[in-house]
Amino acid sequence: MISRAPSRSAAPSNDPLVIVVDDDEALREGLSSLFRSIGLQVALFASAGELLAAKLPDSPRCLVLDIRLPGVSGLDFQGQLVRSEIAMPIIFMTGHGDIPMSVRAMKAGAVDFLTKPFRDQDMLDAVSAALQMDRERREAQAATDRLHALYGSLTEREKQIMALVTAGLMNKQVAGEVGLSEITVKIHRGNVMRKMEARSLADLVRMAGALGLETRKK
Amino acid sequence: MPGSDGMAASESARAARRRLIGSVVVVAALCGVIFAIDTLLPFDMAIAVLYLVVVVFAASVFERLGLLIVGAVCVGLTGLSFVIIHADDYNLSSVMRCLVSLAAIAVTTLLTLRNQRDTRALRGQADLLDLSHDAIFVRGPSDIITYWNRGAERLYGWTRAEALGSRAGALLRSELPPCAEPELMSSGLWEGELTHTAKDGRRVITISRWSRHRDARGRLAGTLETDRDITDRKMTEEKLHEARGELAHVTRLSTMGELTASITHEVNQPLAAVVTNGEACLRWLRRDQPDIGEATTSVERMIANARRASDVVARLRALARREEPEHLPLDPREWVDECLLLLERELSSHRIRLELELAGHGLRVAGDRVQLQQVLINLMINAIQALDEMPEDRRVLRLSLTARQTDDASPAAQMIVLEVEDSGPGAAPQALPNLFTAFYSTKKEGIGIGLSISRSIVEAHGGHITAASAQSGGLRFTVALPLQKETVS
Repeated sequence: MISRAPSRSAAPSNDPLVIVVDDDEALREGLSSLFRSIGLQVALFASAGELLAAKLPDSPRCLVLDIRLPGVSGLDFQGQLVRSEIAMPIIFMTGHGDIPMSVRAMKAGAVDFLTKPFRDQDMLDAVSAALQMDRERREAQAATDRLHALYGSLTEREKQIMALVTAGLMNKQVAGEVGLSEITVKIHRGNVMRKMEARSLADLVRMAGALGLETRKK
Repeated sequence: MPGSDGMAASESARAARRRLIGSVVVVAALCGVIFAIDTLLPFDMAIAVLYLVVVVFAASVFERLGLLIVGAVCVGLTGLSFVIIHADDYNLSSVMRCLVSLAAIAVTTLLTLRNQRDTRALRGQADLLDLSHDAIFVRGPSDIITYWNRGAERLYGWTRAEALGSRAGALLRSELPPCAEPELMSSGLWEGELTHTAKDGRRVITISRWSRHRDARGRLAGTLETDRDITDRKMTEEKLHEARGELAHVTRLSTMGELTASITHEVNQPLAAVVTNGEACLRWLRRDQPDIGEATTSVERMIANARRASDVVARLRALARREEPEHLPLDPREWVDECLLLLERELSSHRIRLELELAGHGLRVAGDRVQLQQVLINLMINAIQALDEMPEDRRVLRLSLTARQTDDASPAAQMIVLEVEDSGPGAAPQALPNLFTAFYSTKKEGIGIGLSISRSIVEAHGGHITAASAQSGGLRFTVALPLQKETVS
């Protein structure tokens, strides 16, 4: 059943997923119902271990996590996730929001910290924001991945010339640096622009920045 | 006031002397009259036998020596009469008559002497009964009081004159346990606690002993009853009991204080579920096409969780309430499970690994649920606090429940044994016996009352609690409680 979100949730591009980890089944089911009512996909887990063992679709996601879990605590699990590079925005829930805990959680990158019982709108807002963050992060990640792929298609010589060109050197200077003729440099430069799908030199400079290229002067 | 005392004493001594002189005069007069009749009147019969009257009378007024003198005088007078009358003719019949008279006087004197001695002993014993602080009385076959001692007068306020001849049950308004009469009938003895009402309306609690009393021919003569007043002791006991209950209650509250975080969670969790499910339900209903199925499920979850919250609250209220302990059959497994429910969070938030070995299903102990929970919660909180000093990977709390049942019928063999063992830092062996002492604490903020209360609770249940060093280096507390005989399958 596809449902339109009644409020502000962004139109799901590729089915955003809310992951709920709470050892309390009734609350888990309630959250599931709440999220489904606005058309979000939900995955429910009773413990951190179950989540780590599960195979989840690769889609924008966020984690709604109880800070007190059997076995490993929510805060420790947050640390584990960060280390294991399964990055996703985390919204913490707690029965009694004590300040040191929430500070620790926020410092470690939590999106929000909600005290049970929370207002549904607060939870939905937090989830929307988290999903938006994840979507942006994913888009940025996708762009970076693509850029790396394009960069990977360059020859060594082209990579060298791209670095010099984006560092602001004129063709002539580049030719001098690498010991090639200016004509050859121009050809390589054209190939770089085409392979990197850069529309302008400025575009290429931005890409070099994103790739973290540094001018390697000899 | 020695003066007045002395005066009273001399007064009574004078009266006694007057009585003595009077008695001597009466005896002398009687002797004189009999002697005169015997000697002067020509009756041919044993007038001397009348001396027996003198002897019997003398027995009631004289002591041993006086009686002997009177006896001797009577013998002498009889002899004298014989000599005067029969100075010349000693015929056989008159000699025989005289001898019979003499023998009768001598035998009567001796019998009376013995009787006097017995009476004195009896009176001594009766005085002894009056000395007793206990109320002692005798009830005849139809509950009529036939003896009533001074102690009974003091205790119940009824004088001997008022009590004798009354029905004991009506006079004392005794509240009898139903087992008393049948037990008295079957074994001839009964012992137990009774409540009576004194003349002035006071309630008197006694520890009483009844014994069936048979006469020389084995017929039922009545019931001997001794009542010892334990009203004061009983009231003190009750006050003590109340104070102990109060203390247990306060300790329980402070224990709950230590569990606040867990309790908050236990109450808050279902409430959060109710709110979340309720909000989800509204969203399903407010859609353009309301989803009744989803909404119904949400409402069902709300109801279930509202119930859950109220169960938690009821459980907490039972712990917090100040109530008379009730001894009811209790499954020891339930006892442990209910405590674990309250402490699960505490254990997980302190990163403590719980090891359970629970046997003894279907057994029963007789006990007060709340108080026994208090004992176990207290032991577990102590363990949790001790484990806080250990590195996280070495925090283990072991709970084991075993039934110690043998074929031996002795009550000590039928116990349920609960062990609470932690892997904490433990205590020095010389500190172990002190653990149960009130106001002894190894904890900084402890007041040292928890274990002392725990012990008094366990002992009030007929069990015992001990502490020992565990192999892991921590402490092991062992609680043993007597099992109820009937087991439920």
